[in-house]
Amino acid sequence: MIKRQLTEFVKKEMLIMFRDKQTILLLFLMPLALIFFMTLALKEVYADKIYERQIPLVIENESKSTKANLLEKKIQSHKLIKRIDLPPGMDKDRIFEYGKAQVLIIIPKGFDEGTKPVEIYFDPVLDTGHKVAVRSLMTGLTVEVVMGIDNLDTVVANLIIEKTKKNMDIPSPLQQAVPAYAIFAMFFIAIPMSIGFLKEKNDGTLQRLFTYSVSANTIALGKIIPYYIINVVQFLLMLFVGVFIAPYIVGSSFQTGNHLWHLIPVTLVVAAATTGFGVLVAALAKTPEQSPTLAATGAILMGVLGGIMVPYFVMSFMMKKLAMISPIFWAHQAYLDVFLRDADFSTILPKLVVLSLFALACFYIAGRRIKWM
Amino acid sequence: MKALEIFGISFSYNSPVDKSTSEVTEYVLRNFSMSLEEGKIHALLGPNGAGKTTLMRIITGILRGYSGKVVIFGNKMPDNRALLSIGYAPQAISLYMPLTARENLRFFGAMANLSDEQIAKRSDDVLAQTGLTGHANKLVFAYSGGMQRRLNLAVALLHSPKLLLLDEPTVGVDPQSRHHIYETLINLNASGMTILFSTHMMEEAERICSSVTLVDRGEMVFDGAMSAIDNLENFFLEKTGRGLRDD
Repeated sequence: MIKRQLTEFVKKEMLIMFRDKQTILLLFLMPLALIFFMTLALKEVYADKIYERQIPLVIENESKSTKANLLEKKIQSHKLIKRIDLPPGMDKDRIFEYGKAQVLIIIPKGFDEGTKPVEIYFDPVLDTGHKVAVRSLMTGLTVEVVMGIDNLDTVVANLIIEKTKKNMDIPSPLQQAVPAYAIFAMFFIAIPMSIGFLKEKNDGTLQRLFTYSVSANTIALGKIIPYYIINVVQFLLMLFVGVFIAPYIVGSSFQTGNHLWHLIPVTLVVAAATTGFGVLVAALAKTPEQSPTLAATGAILMGVLGGIMVPYFVMSFMMKKLAMISPIFWAHQAYLDVFLRDADFSTILPKLVVLSLFALACFYIAGRRIKWM
Repeated sequence: MKALEIFGISFSYNSPVDKSTSEVTEYVLRNFSMSLEEGKIHALLGPNGAGKTTLMRIITGILRGYSGKVVIFGNKMPDNRALLSIGYAPQAISLYMPLTARENLRFFGAMANLSDEQIAKRSDDVLAQTGLTGHANKLVFAYSGGMQRRLNLAVALLHSPKLLLLDEPTVGVDPQSRHHIYETLINLNASGMTILFSTHMMEEAERICSSVTLVDRGEMVFDGAMSAIDNLENFFLEKTGRGLRDD
């Protein structure tokens, strides 16, 4: 009897949900749009900073000596550099104001004799990664010219070997966006879930169910199970789009890792956390008008803290600490463990424990606070 | 046989259900008793805030935490058999607006533990009884107020209850729908169904009900045959006073 009642609850909730265009927009189209737009917008942030972008650079060779000319030639031929000629009449002291170049290299008279060093000026807005790259490049090239070495890389080849590590620390933009916005949208389930509950409470349909000897537990499960299923469907849809469609549109690949089965426990636990949040909002809000504000504010704050809008790896130290209070952080890291780090289940498990505790806390508080009448 | 017996019901919304409040206990119903013979149509009358809806909710098992006793066809509430012998149409339109009439009936039928075949057959029956057969597959939010009110009644009738409880079943509907609802109630009663309904429509109550209970400020002020009353509206005002009930 209870199984049949629950089945009918699921059917009823699904029908109501899929007939509400706003809910479809919120739960499915919003995260899909965010995946595409945020992947494109954040492409530069995740780009391989050294080789995916050339730095516009001006070289002022005041020495014109053989070594200075060789250095100039080596600099301008490097793939990191895009040499810009200073237009006639342009003041080199104000070069960054014109926005034409981001680095100015001056090879002074006396460079050959070692009496004056090469000067490097950086555009103040140039990011640290590029500054370090240019500084490192200039060090290497200057050493080559001064020491008479043809190629420093061949000299240090036996000392330093660069290998591509299978486990990446920094995700690609698509790799970040797919789980991030899938989780974000899963937390937004709290909006239709709480509105539905409060509407039914207000119009008396919820009370009407009690006249059929339907227990409160059955009603609660009847409200939770459909949204739990929707959460899983949301994730699967985002994953499908991330793997099969988005790469062709945004030009980034999406890797799923070698332990795909780990997605099952991760998704089930994340869905428990998100539906728990929905139940909590339904229990705390007093009116259907109040619940969307409460749910959206909660989800956005958790998203900001949890590394959805601003990726975790670019956060400040303090924000990285704060991120840990957001269940979205743990959910996102669990998915990155699966997709990128090929982590063992023992690595993922603590994150799932945190999410489970969050879900239990939500259900417990909601159970204490909820009013059926 | 008695369809419904209520013995000394007292109920307050802030005690003992909500112990967190320090407010003084205000009883919505106080030592309220009444009984209803099987096969009757009985009116429950009273001014706004008299406790009629609360009484309906107690009878139907929605509200708990009362003192006293409710017995339905010999079964003391709360009791599953008693619950399934009741059909209840609340005052509010308690339906799922994004669903069709038939989808609503299917859902509530499953809650009442009817089989798929029973749901299909009874849905046809109650849709015909309430004049909604031609609108069975329309979404409820596209219904007029009168149609929604009739579907509210249809849902209450779906599982063939022996006792029908209606809380102001004609509020906010046009005369045509009101007439249809009252005719439906008369026909249902003729087929043996016991009906208890609250209303402010004195003329209609006088016309179709054989007995009446008058409740005011949570207490029963009259319980007897309709035939004993000369003019129901005057009787009502005599018993409950002419002052406004805004507090």
